[in-house]
Amino acid sequence: MEFVISHLVKNYGSKQVLKDVDFVFEEGRIYGLLGRNGSGKTTFFNCVNGDIDYNSGSFYFRENKDSEDKTALMPQDIGYLVSTPTVPEFMTGREFLKFFLEVHDEITPDKTIDEYFDYMMVPEDDRDRLLKDYSHGTKNKMQMLLNIIASPKLMLLDEPLTSLDVIIAEEMKNVIRSQKQGKITIFSTHLLDVAVDLCDQIVLLHNGRLEPIDKNDLGDAAFKDKIINALRDADDDQ
Amino acid sequence: MISEYKNILFKVIHLRSIIGYNSLVFALKKTPIIGSLIPDKLYSTTFLKVIYWVFHIIIETFKLFIGKIFGLGIIYLAAFLLSDQYIEHELGMGMSRSAIYGTLGLFFFLVYALCGILIRVPYFNCTTEKEYLVFMLRMDAKKLNDTLIYYDLAKLFIGYVIAGLFAVITGAPFWLWLGIPFLALLIKFLGIGLQIMGFKVRTKFHRSLKISAIAYLIRLSVVLLAIPFFIVFVANGYFIPVIPLVIVTGLIAAAGIWGFTVFLKSDTNIHRRALHDNISRPEIKTTSQYDNTKSFKKIKAKGTVKGDKKGFDYLNALFVKRHWTMLCMKPVVFTIIIAAILILLIGEFIYGYYTRFGSDNCWNMVLTNLVNMVTFRGYDDALLPLGTESAFQFFRYVAQSHLLGMMIPLSIADNSFKTTQAMFINCDNSLMTFSFFKQREKIIKLFDIRLKQLIRLNIGPVIACGLSANLMLFASGGQSYPGEYLVTILVAFLLSVLTSVTWLSLYYLFQPFTTSVIAKGGAYRITSIIIYSVAAIIVWVPMVSYILAPVLLVVTAAYVFFMRKMVYKHAPNTWRIKA
Repeated sequence: MEFVISHLVKNYGSKQVLKDVDFVFEEGRIYGLLGRNGSGKTTFFNCVNGDIDYNSGSFYFRENKDSEDKTALMPQDIGYLVSTPTVPEFMTGREFLKFFLEVHDEITPDKTIDEYFDYMMVPEDDRDRLLKDYSHGTKNKMQMLLNIIASPKLMLLDEPLTSLDVIIAEEMKNVIRSQKQGKITIFSTHLLDVAVDLCDQIVLLHNGRLEPIDKNDLGDAAFKDKIINALRDADDDQ
Repeated sequence: MISEYKNILFKVIHLRSIIGYNSLVFALKKTPIIGSLIPDKLYSTTFLKVIYWVFHIIIETFKLFIGKIFGLGIIYLAAFLLSDQYIEHELGMGMSRSAIYGTLGLFFFLVYALCGILIRVPYFNCTTEKEYLVFMLRMDAKKLNDTLIYYDLAKLFIGYVIAGLFAVITGAPFWLWLGIPFLALLIKFLGIGLQIMGFKVRTKFHRSLKISAIAYLIRLSVVLLAIPFFIVFVANGYFIPVIPLVIVTGLIAAAGIWGFTVFLKSDTNIHRRALHDNISRPEIKTTSQYDNTKSFKKIKAKGTVKGDKKGFDYLNALFVKRHWTMLCMKPVVFTIIIAAILILLIGEFIYGYYTRFGSDNCWNMVLTNLVNMVTFRGYDDALLPLGTESAFQFFRYVAQSHLLGMMIPLSIADNSFKTTQAMFINCDNSLMTFSFFKQREKIIKLFDIRLKQLIRLNIGPVIACGLSANLMLFASGGQSYPGEYLVTILVAFLLSVLTSVTWLSLYYLFQPFTTSVIAKGGAYRITSIIIYSVAAIIVWVPMVSYILAPVLLVVTAAYVFFMRKMVYKHAPNTWRIKA
């Protein structure tokens, strides 16, 4: 399975944020979407997730590059993890999970609610507390857990490790790695080390376009310099 | 020292000009239609900045002269006109016209200036430029405040001296011309000194130095209460003789000198703290609006949902349970108020009857009419027969032919708008990031559940309004056709359904709320205005209830059907977080 983005353009007034984005993402891989602050990573995700309108372009799934069949992207195909997790604060973690499983008729849970919590390492004493009282990291875990249960074809992770402590960040990385099979994961970050550590391929979002970076020479000390140079604007050199 | 003040003043005025210019461009860019035509380059266009700078200087000059001259000019004009009257009616006890002019002018000015310092001492409000200079650019808060105070007082002095020239020309004494500007400065210092002393006391008790809005209101009330006495005093031809006035003026001047020393001795910390606690930037006000979202965060975790509710029914039941006070307070309070009014009216009627005809007759009347009520008849009594006067006929006409008017109280009691706000900020805002929440079938399912919930929340006001209308009907002769009482309740119910479905549909079709729960969006506003306008016309349309009820039933059914269709079709695209 491949996820194809074809000629995506998004403008805010006269400012062109995404200029003719054209890219193919492959199943079973984690893509590190690397870009500078304000480069349009969240805009890109919001366009794909249907949260904002875009000026032109299209997205679809196909079996492989030789396949003629295009499958339109449906809301249920997408899992979206936002950097600042928002959860329905009036529910407890357990109530939220129960509700989530009930509204997804198509899902046959392979675990009990507590087993799901255990899998995501949600502390026991948090499970029956209101979500509004959860820490940032635990809210993030809840969001991730629900996306794992829904098992979408395409996972959009918008800087999910930002402001997490090292332990939770490491736990989340392991979960993301363990979930990559059978789906396409696009992980946005502006932190080069995180991208290098977690992702199978790095894609730069720079000047409104997606550019793949060869990660074969990952061990090479010059790799980081290469990316930094690629992201650097002409203005930065002056 | 003076050159330091001059530098600070130049920076402040320059900053004010930049902030003013950028705010103007920003506001223009946010204006519908025009905004898209305005380029970002406008922020850096030197030519326009210069024009704005010139404009800014003109405004400053206007404030310097016109404002001050106008304020004091009115006082001198009043003193001038009254002094003539006092002479004409021989109220001056042998004083010359010039002395009366001066005395009245001084008296009016004292009242005006003291009211002014009671109401407003603006020097510790932290405006945008003060915030930038003190908290970002680390400027000394006292030096900045000193500079602005001296600048403001210099403008005041010059303005008052110019105004005084006109007074002297019209016959005011020379001492009034120069005395008033100096007195004005001392009164200003008195206000500043009192403010600083207040801050010092608050600092001792570790309290915030925020200028209290309640204290402001109290002072304003004191001034407003004092004004009528002042007007009566003057209108009756009284005036304060020179000697007491000079003594009072001397005391105020001495207090002003005290205020000046307090001001001089005040340290930079108190200025910095006072500015910090009184930040008044519009952006900060937006943050305090954000604090309003806290009112939506009062979620009670008590209990959970019992029974076999699942999925969206479970979500809705939990939502209502955890937001019970927020959602029900308004309709419940409305219902209690209406019930209390009805009970008072009925009680007052029974008490009046009792005092006129005694307890036995009263009991008879009450029991008979209770039976009449439950058997859907009208008021009936031999001792106090049904009124036939026009007032009764009017109420009967209203209860029978103007039931659409119930839309007004029902809209007041309706809490659907706030409920949709709570839905957004505490529930949908987060669930909208999940794909299942954007699926058409699931959207309409939740819409239906919520519509029923809103209708249920309004049952209290519906019954209260329906019973009120029915009570008018009962007291004016009872129903004209069988079932009229029930028809009235049905009309109230249908009107409430219309209100609920309107608010809920607008929420789904426009999703106007930002994450600060502020309703934004041109299309939403225009649609709301149209709906309000149509409703405002419809409530006045007379229609007898036996025609209105079936018409309303059909209209409501069609409206709900149409809105559901619209939501089903458009909400997957419109019901989303505002980017």
